[in-house]
Amino acid sequence: MRPLGILLTFVVALVAIGGVAAFFISQSYTSPNYPNGVQVAQPLGTAVVNGQSVPHVALQFQTYPDSTGSVAGKQVHPSGNPAWPAYGLSNQYQVPAHSLVTVTIRQYDSGGSLNNPWFAKVSGTVGGVATFTSPDGKTVTTNHVDPDNIGHTFTMRSAPGVDSAFFLNVPLPTNANLPNNQTNPDAGQYYTVKFSFLSGAKGVYAWNCEFPCGQMVASFGGVMGAYGFMSGFVHVV
Amino acid sequence: MSFEEEVDEIEANTLLGGAPFFSRPGGKIFIIWLVFTVIGVLIGFYAPHHLLPVMQSPEGGDVWATIVFFTVLAAPVAALVYAIAFYSLFAWRHRSEDPDVPPPDAEPQRGNGPVTVVWLAVSTVLVVVLLFWGIAVWSAQQVSHPNALQVNVTGQQWLWTYSYPGTGVETRTLDLPVNRPVQFNVTSVDVTHGFWPAVLGVQVDANPDVVTVIRTTPNKLGKFIVQCSQLCGLYHAFMNNTGDVVTSQQFDTWLQSNGATPTAAATAAGTSSSGSTTAMGK
Repeated sequence: MRPLGILLTFVVALVAIGGVAAFFISQSYTSPNYPNGVQVAQPLGTAVVNGQSVPHVALQFQTYPDSTGSVAGKQVHPSGNPAWPAYGLSNQYQVPAHSLVTVTIRQYDSGGSLNNPWFAKVSGTVGGVATFTSPDGKTVTTNHVDPDNIGHTFTMRSAPGVDSAFFLNVPLPTNANLPNNQTNPDAGQYYTVKFSFLSGAKGVYAWNCEFPCGQMVASFGGVMGAYGFMSGFVHVV
Repeated sequence: MSFEEEVDEIEANTLLGGAPFFSRPGGKIFIIWLVFTVIGVLIGFYAPHHLLPVMQSPEGGDVWATIVFFTVLAAPVAALVYAIAFYSLFAWRHRSEDPDVPPPDAEPQRGNGPVTVVWLAVSTVLVVVLLFWGIAVWSAQQVSHPNALQVNVTGQQWLWTYSYPGTGVETRTLDLPVNRPVQFNVTSVDVTHGFWPAVLGVQVDANPDVVTVIRTTPNKLGKFIVQCSQLCGLYHAFMNNTGDVVTSQQFDTWLQSNGATPTAAATAAGTSSSGSTTAMGK
């Protein structure tokens, strides 16, 4: 009876430890279980940057004011909330390392003032600029926008120890005239923001929005504190 | 041997018993304590060389010394606990024919005045020494220098930004000139963060609507990491960026490359032709 008790104790302990470990692994940011999958950048061939030929890829995604909307039958976010904006459809992007990545973002959301106007500056892109096309078709290429008319930002940095020199920040101007269209979020007008950056070393990079588009404390609660709406990861492979 | 016989044997061989000192339990515990203390002290002296980064300021040196001093001071106390536990585990383990029968409880021991007095006195002395040591280290960081370089540190979810008043420079990397006192004016625009350039030996909370001042003097060239030390939300783990202690000339050049005018950069870096450094207000 006694050996059986000892054996049972070890089995229970192993199951408990294994269960906790499995839980932590499932919560890891490298977990492949993303609700809308990983959006892989589309290859465009090669490009010459700083005299070197590098792979060139493209990414396109959107910012929606209402995360409950559906695009082509797919929800922007499975746990959507009408008051919560979201990037979509995926918040996970995959790009090759040391490549030129051209990003096009369609910004459907309204906005306001940044908590820190520093994020109105474009940082880390090729040439230090981005191209902004307003809903009425006016295009401007610049290194900063009005910090009091920001919809969101796309701000990206590496995981600790991956590529500390890498940093990207692109502000997305306010799209003032857009009504929410839940049944077809892509139907309305939008601001188009286009920029290119050189991806860093292989690893996980986090991106998030630095515009206070959430609730509660400094408007960084609610949607800003919930993973997957205004935040995600870029997998550099 | 019955439990009562075990207790009799222990009582006959206590520290005050008649057997030679090192044959008694007290003597054996003393030897174990001595060994554990030596191990603890050695760890206190040598482990920081392998576990801590190279400090880049006198304040960092103070932190290093504090860790060593506190570890060495704690070693004999911890060793006593471990020695008694270690000895008890092997020498006073209950042995019985029937392992399912637990030993009866021993009589509670009360009223040992000398032990209580020694324990309280030693604890008090240790705590008071630690208190004065801590106050001395903290006080050294409160001294204001008239020619200190002012750096405004802003924490926000989830990035540190730094501005250098008078230069128009605001960056996400913290460059500092070597051997020049620096005053960090730390605040937050959202929740509480913790500004922690560990190798500079300073750490302070960044609170919203409050500016907290902390000072240091970088004295070693090289890069370092600034981390957030307060759990501040979703990407707290990503809230770190790099800093660099550089020469005054390199700092001047770096300021200009980030948009400062040559005059403002030279003033902030202390490389102006007059050779004097200027305090720059917030």
